Amino acid sequence: MDLSFSPEDEEYRIRLRAWLEKHQAELAGAAGLMQGGGSANILDAIGMAREWQRSLYEAGYVGLSWPKEYGGQEATLTQQVICSEELSRSNTPPLINTIGLTILGPTLVQHGTEDQKRRFLPKILTAEELWCQGFSEPGAGSDLAALRTRAEQDGDTFFVNGQKVWTSMAPIADWCFLLVRTDPSAPKREGISYLLCDMHTPGITVRPLRNAAGGIHFSEVFLEDVRIPATNLVGELHGGWSIARSTLGHERSGLSGVLSLETNLIRLWRTAGTLQRGDGVALDDPTLRRELAQRWIELEGLRHLGFRTLTAQIAGREPGASASVGKLFAAELRSRIAGTALKVEGSLAQVAKRSPHAVDRGRWHAAYFDAIGHSIGGGTAQIQRNTIAERVLGLPRSVPDELVKGGGPGE
Amino acid sequence: MDFELSDEHIALRDSARDFIAERWSPDRMRQALDTPPAALDGDIWQEMAALGWIGICASEDRGGSGGDVVTAIVLAEEAGRGLLPGPLVSAIAAGRALDRCGNSELRVELLPALFAGDSRATVAFDEPGGNPGLDPVQTVAKQAGDGWHLTGTKICVPDVEGAGTVLVPAAAPEGPLLFAVPAGTLTVTPMRRLDAQSIGEVVMDGAVLPSGALCGGGDLVRETFDFLALLTAADLLGGASAALDTAVAYAKERVQFDRPIGSFQAVAHPLADAYVACEIGRSLLYAAALAVEESRPEAPAYVSAAKAWAGETAVSACETALSVHGGIGFTWELDIHLYLRRARAGAVSFGDADFHRDRVAALVPGLDGYSVERQEEGKAR
Repeated sequence: MDLSFSPEDEEYRIRLRAWLEKHQAELAGAAGLMQGGGSANILDAIGMAREWQRSLYEAGYVGLSWPKEYGGQEATLTQQVICSEELSRSNTPPLINTIGLTILGPTLVQHGTEDQKRRFLPKILTAEELWCQGFSEPGAGSDLAALRTRAEQDGDTFFVNGQKVWTSMAPIADWCFLLVRTDPSAPKREGISYLLCDMHTPGITVRPLRNAAGGIHFSEVFLEDVRIPATNLVGELHGGWSIARSTLGHERSGLSGVLSLETNLIRLWRTAGTLQRGDGVALDDPTLRRELAQRWIELEGLRHLGFRTLTAQIAGREPGASASVGKLFAAELRSRIAGTALKVEGSLAQVAKRSPHAVDRGRWHAAYFDAIGHSIGGGTAQIQRNTIAERVLGLPRSVPDELVKGGGPGE
Repeated sequence: MDFELSDEHIALRDSARDFIAERWSPDRMRQALDTPPAALDGDIWQEMAALGWIGICASEDRGGSGGDVVTAIVLAEEAGRGLLPGPLVSAIAAGRALDRCGNSELRVELLPALFAGDSRATVAFDEPGGNPGLDPVQTVAKQAGDGWHLTGTKICVPDVEGAGTVLVPAAAPEGPLLFAVPAGTLTVTPMRRLDAQSIGEVVMDGAVLPSGALCGGGDLVRETFDFLALLTAADLLGGASAALDTAVAYAKERVQFDRPIGSFQAVAHPLADAYVACEIGRSLLYAAALAVEESRPEAPAYVSAAKAWAGETAVSACETALSVHGGIGFTWELDIHLYLRRARAGAVSFGDADFHRDRVAALVPGLDGYSVERQEEGKAR
């Protein structure tokens, strides 16, 4: 066993770190605008964030796993890990086109036509075109294959009608990758197609939804006779389900998520060491100390699970099991860290963020709600447990086969 | 970057699993509950010695097998999985302590017979009153002429019946010291362990030891404690995985309401959670083993992390496994209670979860990656 990276990889890390330090000012501006939030400067903020991704791209730190011919780096797995570690460590805002970079890009690389790859991939990398994902619907959440948004083909055009929901980035996205039903009579997984939709097409209405944390992060998207050229079909007609699944299967080692949790935990430890409690500080309370220690233990467990996943990936094995375990455990740990933070705050945990009495300007309430979002988005914790039970432990399906694959949802 | 068992580790694991399944059975543990303590037949111990297990990670020039720390956790995990009783784990730990001690006469005198399986040694940490013994208080060593006077009591000493040498950490003015004490100078009284393994109380009433009985100081005491805690964590995870495997197999076969019970989420999800906990535990175990192997400063924190997590995981995995079996799970004939007993006992051996969490809380702020100052610097940059 050996947890070290090769000298070449460490040099790569040093170069990236140096680059990040040099661009600190640019970064601080982008971060400030992204977090500052007022609607007056929201357009500036988006512009800054696009610029930030573009400069990172030009320096060679975006699209690491992508083929060179479409603007990627074809970097090694360890370099990908190092890059996400360093970006996470440097407190940079997440890349604005993350959805395009992590979901659509790999899908197009694998299943897109040559024209689609040349047309779309470079602009994902530069953030010239921002992407959102149109999968979930009001009646199709965990049971995604129950989706009802219809696309009817007429010659070289699809006409799309329906509604998507929980669509992050929708108000600012230029494009959306959609799952639509093209054959309502087929079994539900076999009548679905994968389309690329220009968000500026007439017939699209975006209605932002306010989430439980109070922020505007996702939207409803209504599609009414939206015309999509047939050249924007990805893969085979009615073959969209397996394409969508293949990208969801592109699990990462989860190591970059560990870094953001680590940053949270270090902050929390510091808060506990300074926040007054009785005659001392919160950290003097033996129960809280133990709970913080337990969070550290869990974090290190997750980190080292990530190293095992990475080992499997480097060896060319499917990380399958440890990736699904990591995803579930990370979401739970995120919410446990936030829960511990609210205990550390003690009675001040009732104070809202705009109050001058708020601990750490209310960041732990934000972390708490954020954690709840993480345990739902991209597959609820219950669905993750189903996945582990069925695919890893080999237990029988909890939902009968006919309901999983079943007949089409009809009209 | 390579953070999985090597092919050699996997080969050792497989052969250990086969050997234990062939030469020992959970039934023997069940019988031992009525006639404690569980004891290996003499020839099994000799065979394990011949396989090089007792000195598995001791240096080759002293008769050991020269394996890394991971080889030892592989064996301990298989012992837990196969419900193999001591003295394998305590003997490996005692052997490693002697192998690493600065006293070459002791090494020459004790190690060959120990590794050959001809004599046995164990380690006595626990003290009455709930002190796991990393920092001995009640057991005191006083210099007397050329030698030492040892007084105090140790409890829950594993496999002490029949051991020729007991390694005893004791408090001295210069800090904790580790002594190799001949069993003849001690009073040993058997205690009964929840799972029928052998433990005993050891009383030292002013035992007089020659100066040559001193093995080492605080570092060796700490290393030895960490090593035992690490092997115990491995044993616990081995048992947890075995119990989980049994429950998963049962959940696939057992039909109620015309369906295999594993298709009910109320059954499947706790099993998934137990699996997650075992995988996290194995990751912590490897992290700790590697840190111990490389003698890194964070080793104690990682060992404590692994031990705290493994103890709680083993107990909850066994409880889940038992409840998934329903009424059958609560019978004497089913093996799950044997695993649960071993888990409950192991979880509080060499420090319970709270002891290890307290230790983590004391150690972590000093670790490089967790220094608050480093974060502050990062922000200021």
